[in-house]
Amino acid sequence: MDDKTNALREHVKGIFSNLELVLGWEPGYDPLHTRPFYVRTESDIDRLTANCLSFQNLTRYLAKSMNAVDPAADGRKIGVCVKGCDSRSLVALIQEKFVSRDRVYVIGLPCRGTLDARRIRALVPDPARIRSVNAEGDELVVETDRGISRFALDRAIARKCLQCRYPNPVIHDVLIGDPVTPRLKIDAENPSVAAVEALSLEDRLLFWENQLDRCIRCFACRNACPLCVCQNHCIMETRMPKWITQYRNMNEKFMFHMIHALHLAGRCTECGECERVCPVGIPVALIKEKINAIIYEMLDYESGIDPEAVPPLLTFSPKETGI
Amino acid sequence: MSGKIFVAHDALSGLLDDLSKKFKVWIPQMMDQASGHIAFGVYAPGKKPELTRRSRLSPKKILFPSMDTLFKFTYVKDPKDPVRYTIDLKESFDNGPTLVFGARPCDTRGFQTFDQVFLKGQYKDVYYERRRQNTLFATLVCQDSDTACFCSSVGSGPADMTGSDMAVIPIEGGYVIEGLTDAGRKLVETSGSAPSPEQAAAAEQMKRNTAALKIGEDDLTGYADDLTRRFTDMDFWREQVSPCITCGVCTWVCPTCYCFSITDEASGMSGERMRSWDSCMFYLYTLEARGHNPRPTKMERYRNRVGHKFSYFPKKYDGMVSCCGCGRCIRTCPVSIDIRKVVKELKETADDRA
Ligand code: SF4
Ligand code: SF4
Ligand code: SF4
Ligand code: SF4
Repeated sequence: MDDKTNALREHVKGIFSNLELVLGWEPGYDPLHTRPFYVRTESDIDRLTANCLSFQNLTRYLAKSMNAVDPAADGRKIGVCVKGCDSRSLVALIQEKFVSRDRVYVIGLPCRGTLDARRIRALVPDPARIRSVNAEGDELVVETDRGISRFALDRAIARKCLQCRYPNPVIHDVLIGDPVTPRLKIDAENPSVAAVEALSLEDRLLFWENQLDRCIRCFACRNACPLCVCQNHCIMETRMPKWITQYRNMNEKFMFHMIHALHLAGRCTECGECERVCPVGIPVALIKEKINAIIYEMLDYESGIDPEAVPPLLTFSPKETGI
Repeated sequence: MSGKIFVAHDALSGLLDDLSKKFKVWIPQMMDQASGHIAFGVYAPGKKPELTRRSRLSPKKILFPSMDTLFKFTYVKDPKDPVRYTIDLKESFDNGPTLVFGARPCDTRGFQTFDQVFLKGQYKDVYYERRRQNTLFATLVCQDSDTACFCSSVGSGPADMTGSDMAVIPIEGGYVIEGLTDAGRKLVETSGSAPSPEQAAAAEQMKRNTAALKIGEDDLTGYADDLTRRFTDMDFWREQVSPCITCGVCTWVCPTCYCFSITDEASGMSGERMRSWDSCMFYLYTLEARGHNPRPTKMERYRNRVGHKFSYFPKKYDGMVSCCGCGRCIRTCPVSIDIRKVVKELKETADDRA
């Protein structure tokens, strides 16, 4: 995303008196990090930022950390900043009635891609103290205590962004900045899924075993996901009934990831948060992308586009064929 | 002999090969190139220690495995009276001679926290104790720091060898390895040849230079009472913790977080009693049998994490902060919550924040 900080602040200043709070981002502990920010007072507005470091999908707070269903007594709304992918999660949450459309004021931010802090760390001499991160045209310029590194922006942006089909928010009350051209066409094949499918069955199993072997069962992927809504009732933790043992072995990890993916089938909006937050770098969103591709092919449905639509696995139609 | 050896860069694998005949040797290694994931793994010939980039996961699991079988049990029926049974218990220990090579000072020092709790109290944890006694640490004198490091803020520093048996000191062309404890010296002396006087001097110089570095801006010890004062200031905790997604990553990556759960993993008549990592950032961690939860939201849970490390622990253990300043929780937190900032702001008054 290009830097839209100033335009965002100006806009929020103009409407803040009608809002209860605004979910946005502020700078994190170094120039490569950003953190979600609850703008609660007028004076907070000048801490807001919106740029290619605005990684986090803030809609997860609407569903998991606050009541975004019932109207506030004074009628004020919750402002929420969304990128293209985030807006799809919001649509899915509205469909499933975790959020009421008229409870939120949606600030849409067309997005050219967010940076992947891990890829950047691998591209600059590490360990290095990062002093500044700037996108200059198609190049990313990272200044560290060991000098300046420049590389193509595409080498530093997140996997989900390289294959983005919805960079422009699909719903919004205001759009900050001009719409951008999607990288892929709406019906384009998912290149990451295709790459894994090109492997033989044995290699594919090996690929996932190697990846999931690292999983430490922290559940950050689950907690970051806006649509993983069971919260404290997740099968991975409940003792009664006890579905899963505490063993850190492949069976249990595989079970967890398959459950996570299946519960997200036709619901996952490919925001990539599960993958970004994974402390051990497992491309967990890829499993959901594959399932989404199946849903698209079989049921001609794409999640998080139309707030009025009913996700296919949340309904039943006798007319469904081919299943 | 001097209790020191010099190991050239290209002789390091040879040394590790030799050591791995006597020990289970753990080294920081690249686990996944694509995501740059570095963690501690068991050395095998051909593996390269990753000594220039930081490991994302701490070496905690070496002495405190994420799943640890405490004992195995089998119910044995009495053939004469099948409603009666006895329980057959089997000890389970996995603790051969172990060497951790290439941990950083903060990593090794993290176990000091474990020692207080698992060894020095009224009860000893035999599982931890046996591993601890059988493990040697060859710790890297840390030459570099990143924006999340703050070891000097918690009473340590990049050359602090507390808890280490050997110091691995990087110099031109290789490493000088210096024995610090009897066991460390003994191992060093049988593992290679002494450094030249120049190499020994370079190592001394390196140690001095590193010891003079101050990593982390503020002193974060001495906040025990500030936490108490802030305990019920929920506005403060809301401001600090709102972005938290209670994922627990901070506790999994932390070398000093030692909370655990105990479960019986059984099927049919036999099974194991297992200890596994748990996290105070989880709702279920404090959920009581009757349904009450004393830490119902992330605010109480994060307050506990900070309080435990910077207030309750030092109050109980002579002022020792149970955070080694490794910065892992800061680096891996998906929403960039910075524990340094939270602790520092404990001292500020409500007016400072307005
Ligand atoms: S499963 Fe992953 S990619 Fe899909 S909505 Fe959840 S966090 Fe986003
Ligand atoms: S975030 Fe990564 S390590 Fe944690 S449970 Fe998910 S896949 Fe496993
Ligand atoms: S890693 Fe960050 S988001 Fe996750 S529980 Fe810890 S403080 Fe909260
Ligand atoms: S609290 Fe954070 S900085 Fe302190 S020891 Fe744990 S992971 Fe390291």
